[in-house]
Amino acid sequence: MSTQGVQMIEAKPNSGLFKRNPPIAGEAEAIEAAKNGDPEAFSKLYSLHKRRVYTLCLRMLGNVSEAEDMTQEAFLHLFRKLGSFRGESAFSTWLHRLTVNLVLMHLRKKGLNLVSLEETINPSDDDAPKRDFGSRDPILAGSVDRVALERAVASLPPGYRMVFVLHDVEGFEHNEIATMLECSTGNSKSQLHKARLKLRELLRQPGQTPQQAGLKEVTT
Amino acid sequence: MTDATTPEFPDFETMTQADFEHVLPAMFENSPNGKVSSDPRLQKFLAKNPDCAALVRDLEIIAEQARSLFNVEEEPGDDLWGKIRGQMDADRDPKTK
Repeated sequence: MSTQGVQMIEAKPNSGLFKRNPPIAGEAEAIEAAKNGDPEAFSKLYSLHKRRVYTLCLRMLGNVSEAEDMTQEAFLHLFRKLGSFRGESAFSTWLHRLTVNLVLMHLRKKGLNLVSLEETINPSDDDAPKRDFGSRDPILAGSVDRVALERAVASLPPGYRMVFVLHDVEGFEHNEIATMLECSTGNSKSQLHKARLKLRELLRQPGQTPQQAGLKEVTT
Repeated sequence: MTDATTPEFPDFETMTQADFEHVLPAMFENSPNGKVSSDPRLQKFLAKNPDCAALVRDLEIIAEQARSLFNVEEEPGDDLWGKIRGQMDADRDPKTK
């Protein structure tokens, strides 16, 4: 897959993401050595960041095979573009943005290209959350099993999943998400709310197997 | 944060479930730490509407648990680095492609 044309969206110093991605000991030296072509230094960068990058891809794509392919693409892109990293944001933030942009480009190439993502990522009526409040029983009962939540997130329609992962898990602001997804801030907020409603619906189906609940893939 | 997409909040004393549903996304967006359930303006309404209270509670739990996923990381396959390394070598020496 070509990775040309990926646009990096610079992280704001005060973004939640920046605060959650502090520099790692030894990373700066590895970056400089890798820039100079040291393969062992690049291997170290891979070891330091492979889990974050892979997990991000997995959550955004909901698919193990595609997530590994995109992780490979992200590190190859890093290898080719590392020289352009100027240290204006934390390296992990920069790599994180690079990965998000690659995944979004990948999704557009799968069928969302040349059309506004805002329109095409909207799910069908069948996928949309039901517009009722449901039972008053607090069946989430104060906690949600992490594995169940991961599975439910993986089963969300792509547009919902993207906004939910970027906002609620990764800590991006709506204006940042709107820029990345080329949609309005209002659309990002609306998608997030619908995603949470859909997750509630999925998590309120006790006794169902993931398949019965419409869950497509187990992510763990 | 308010913008053109933020609806006007209704009178919380006379608010209907439909009104509540309409403003709920904005309330989550504007509430500190996403805790709509502790908003004093909503206490009477939520007490009178247990379904709405359950909805708020569930959405808060989902958002809270989602934040905790940030620190949970998955491991890619062991063979992935070999694939990346092979492609990097091919990049360095196009003759090996």
